[in-house]
Amino acid sequence: MGSVSGMIESILITVLQAVVILAVSPYIVGLIRKVKAYLQCRQGPGWLQPYYDLAKLFRKDVVASTHTSWIFTASPYIIFASTWVAVLLVPIFLSTVPLNFAGDVITVVYLLALGTFFLILAGLDAGSAFGGMGSSREAIVAALTEPAMILSIFAVGLTAGSTNLSTIVHKTALLQGIVTDPPPHLMALAALFIVTLAETGRVPVDNPATHLELTMIHEAMILEYSGRYLALVEWASAMKLLLFLTLISNIFAPWGIATEPAPVWMGFGLAVWLVKISALAVLIGVIESMFAKLRLFRVTDFLGLAFILSLLAIIFFYILRG
Amino acid sequence: MESALIILIAAPLAAGLVSLVVRTRRVMERLQLGHAVVLWAAMAAVVSGVAAGDDVSFGTFLHADPLSAFMDLMLAFVGGTALFYAVGYMGEELSREQLSFLRYRRFFVYFDLFLFAMVLAVNLDNIALMWIAVEGSTISAALSVGFNRTKAALEAGWKYIIVNFVGIALALFGTVLVYYTSEHVLGVSMEALRWSALARVAGSLNPVVLELAFVFVMIGYGTKAGVAPMHTWLPDAHSEAPTPISAVLSGLMINLGLYAVLRLKTIVDPAVGPDFAGSIMVGLGLLSMTIAATFMLIQRDYKRFFAYSSIEHVGIVLVGFGVGGAAGVFGGLFHMINHALAKSTAFYAAGLVLLRYGHKNMEGVTGLLRQMPLVGGAMLLAALALAGMPPFGLFISEFLIATGAYVEQPWVAYGFLGLLVVAFAALVYPVFRMVLGEPKEAGLTLTAGGNRFAAVSLMANLVAMGYIGLHMPGFLRALFIPMTHVFHAMAEIP
Amino acid sequence: MSIHPDIGSQLVNFCSALLLLTCFAIIAQRRLSACVDLFALQSVFLAVTAALVAFLTGAYHIYIAAALTVVIKVIILPRILKAVIERLNVTRELVLNINIPSSLLICGALVILAFYITQPIISLGFLLTQDSLAIALAIVLIGFFTMIARKKAVTQVIGFLVIENGLFLGATAAAYGMPLIVELGVFFDILVAGLIIGVYTHRLQDTFDSVDTSKLTGLKE
Repeated sequence: MGSVSGMIESILITVLQAVVILAVSPYIVGLIRKVKAYLQCRQGPGWLQPYYDLAKLFRKDVVASTHTSWIFTASPYIIFASTWVAVLLVPIFLSTVPLNFAGDVITVVYLLALGTFFLILAGLDAGSAFGGMGSSREAIVAALTEPAMILSIFAVGLTAGSTNLSTIVHKTALLQGIVTDPPPHLMALAALFIVTLAETGRVPVDNPATHLELTMIHEAMILEYSGRYLALVEWASAMKLLLFLTLISNIFAPWGIATEPAPVWMGFGLAVWLVKISALAVLIGVIESMFAKLRLFRVTDFLGLAFILSLLAIIFFYILRG
Repeated sequence: MESALIILIAAPLAAGLVSLVVRTRRVMERLQLGHAVVLWAAMAAVVSGVAAGDDVSFGTFLHADPLSAFMDLMLAFVGGTALFYAVGYMGEELSREQLSFLRYRRFFVYFDLFLFAMVLAVNLDNIALMWIAVEGSTISAALSVGFNRTKAALEAGWKYIIVNFVGIALALFGTVLVYYTSEHVLGVSMEALRWSALARVAGSLNPVVLELAFVFVMIGYGTKAGVAPMHTWLPDAHSEAPTPISAVLSGLMINLGLYAVLRLKTIVDPAVGPDFAGSIMVGLGLLSMTIAATFMLIQRDYKRFFAYSSIEHVGIVLVGFGVGGAAGVFGGLFHMINHALAKSTAFYAAGLVLLRYGHKNMEGVTGLLRQMPLVGGAMLLAALALAGMPPFGLFISEFLIATGAYVEQPWVAYGFLGLLVVAFAALVYPVFRMVLGEPKEAGLTLTAGGNRFAAVSLMANLVAMGYIGLHMPGFLRALFIPMTHVFHAMAEIP
Repeated sequence: MSIHPDIGSQLVNFCSALLLLTCFAIIAQRRLSACVDLFALQSVFLAVTAALVAFLTGAYHIYIAAALTVVIKVIILPRILKAVIERLNVTRELVLNINIPSSLLICGALVILAFYITQPIISLGFLLTQDSLAIALAIVLIGFFTMIARKKAVTQVIGFLVIENGLFLGATAAAYGMPLIVELGVFFDILVAGLIIGVYTHRLQDTFDSVDTSKLTGLKE
């Protein structure tokens, strides 16, 4: 029957998307590292290094502090699961994700917030000073980025008339513009880009390669993790990066994405998507190399800029478009 | 006639370029004095040509219609006397070794280029090229304002630069807007920028765009003219600049700014109706008069004092043109030229006082009539003229403007007259104190050379003021009538 | 004349919006050399916009204006400004009159004001895109605000140059560019104005030992 084959099709597509996400996220992390290495005139780690790292971590034993509670052991799974499901709601190679009935952009934001919440708790759980510090900093950053993220996606959603990510992408893709409606959307794009840098712990908000605990935000919270827990958390943060890059490329410039579930178009959409997020990853790598990490009290200024840009994007939309 | 126009414009440029290579003071003096005479001669030719009824033009860009010829008259006459004065004044400073010959020379280069830009601006038939020339005058004035290397002069120069450059940019935006609407009617070309073409099609230009353009132009060129509230740079710049420059700034540059605004008003009025531009001008004019009169009361530096008086007179001219009608327009025009003469006289006198006393403090100067009779007398007469006493022309123009205002809007006339009274008191009292009484001990003396040239310029100005005040010369009337039609006739069209 | 009118005007719109974004970036900056770099970037976008307009409308003299923009505003003026910053040894604005988030909100309000003012005019013109004139006015107002809100002389200069950029955008995108001789004259004036400001900043530093314009308070009343 049509609905059964339709359902099988949906399940297949969802599974395909889940696999693609898992497979591609370490690649993106590796790409950024390679770009930074090249800019520093060195070879850098190999392309498959992130995969080897994950495999290695899964084989190792877990060493956990005896002062921790169930939160410590449960958090990696919660974080991994929530991030994975959040990415499943975002259109990657097909504009209408089968799971789109389950949630819209607010759901995505709150799934990510769930992950962040447990990460913060896990950082506090071991009772070490560094974990606590990382957690409090992460709380500041998260509090400032959430509204900016929601508002910037809303700005595009207003044009499409919905907060459902699939609807937004589908409608924007059908318009076939370059960037639809420049002034508001450009500002929203800038805001979302800043949010990306903040949420995924990149320079200038946080340095992912630092070894100095006093400069850490994300790394400080996961300092206590080892073995498979660490693997899950690292993978989750790679998926989060992938989620943001996909949001930027598919919401603001969704050309190339498949609008119907035909295998050929989906393959094409997948290829285009890979190119787009690779380009964004290269851009992030360049930005990480060009700028220095901001001091913490300047980070709030920086994130305030993102919030105001997204706010202005919405205001402009209303004022300018009537 | 065409060649006279070319000479009029080219003379300051040539003089400025030649000044770059002059080696001695004697040569420079001869050059600048000759330059002044050439200016007068060329101006006389152009003005008599236009007054006889024919506009003088050359090529596509240069065109002297009655308004341009009127401005030429003002610019060339006062410019010439200013050159005489500058030769005397700067020569005096050179003799006292207050400046090196290099700076003396550089002063005249800036001064000549300044005059060049102004004369060019009023004779261009193109709104955008006029902007370029006005910007050129702003730049050369900027170089001159900060000429003295004192802290106060630099601060004045910086303020001048910031405020004026922004103003000019806004004026450019207004110019672009005018082009934006004239493109439709006149096509995408230089033709759409010509004043004469714009005047012809003014009725069919878009009123909304022109309203916006006028606002920008009023703010932009009004900054140059010293209209409040964009006047903040004026007292500083006019008082800290070397006195010949102050005289030219107060006398001529202010009128240049007004000229630009007035040109646009003649275009805007047929399209939008005279009330729009008129009410803006009246409002700003009254505001300028109020601010000027208030601040004049508390001044202690006499150059700054006269600078504020300039702001007041700009306000008067704005009220005159804003009110419109034959009386208002005629009054405004007459006021422009009389103010140029009187204010430059006042500054010439002030500069000589500065040379003699070495400071700008009003309290420290008394008894000028006895100590330096020519200077004291000139300052007294200039102040009386500026305050609006008969028989000087300013009395007539203020009277006319008040009459015109009363016909249109009685309250404007009341406010206008009230402010004039305040300004009168504010102006006359300190000047009387400086001029009458027992002379104070002056520190320095003037050499005969400096005295001579300055005396010439003072006398020339005074004679001109008196002449125009007592008897309207034929050529002036011949210029005024077509100009009044250009402004007044616009008021007739609903 | 134009090949793909829709894509073309979209691109022009896109570039104008980029210009506006760089204005915001300048306001959000504290480091002076970053402000100069952002100004150079803005001028690049401006040149691209001008070239696009030239391509789409066939008004070839705008290409010359675009080239001049690149030469003067991307190469010469930033170099002069950087030299001034080097020499004066000022690197950042330490104390702002209005803090950055408030400045950004005020700039947002200025953009809205600009759109509101130009609303009645937009329908009347040759505009390639709806927003160009409004964005141009917005850039002028933001530049104006930068001059008022910042204290270091160099930033005030950058604000002035941003105003000129906005004017150029207005003339180009809104009025198909002014005739060539006018553009040349305007560029020349801007160049000379920039040079004079550079000279003045040096003199200020020499006399006052700082380019903090809040110290210029000698002349009052």
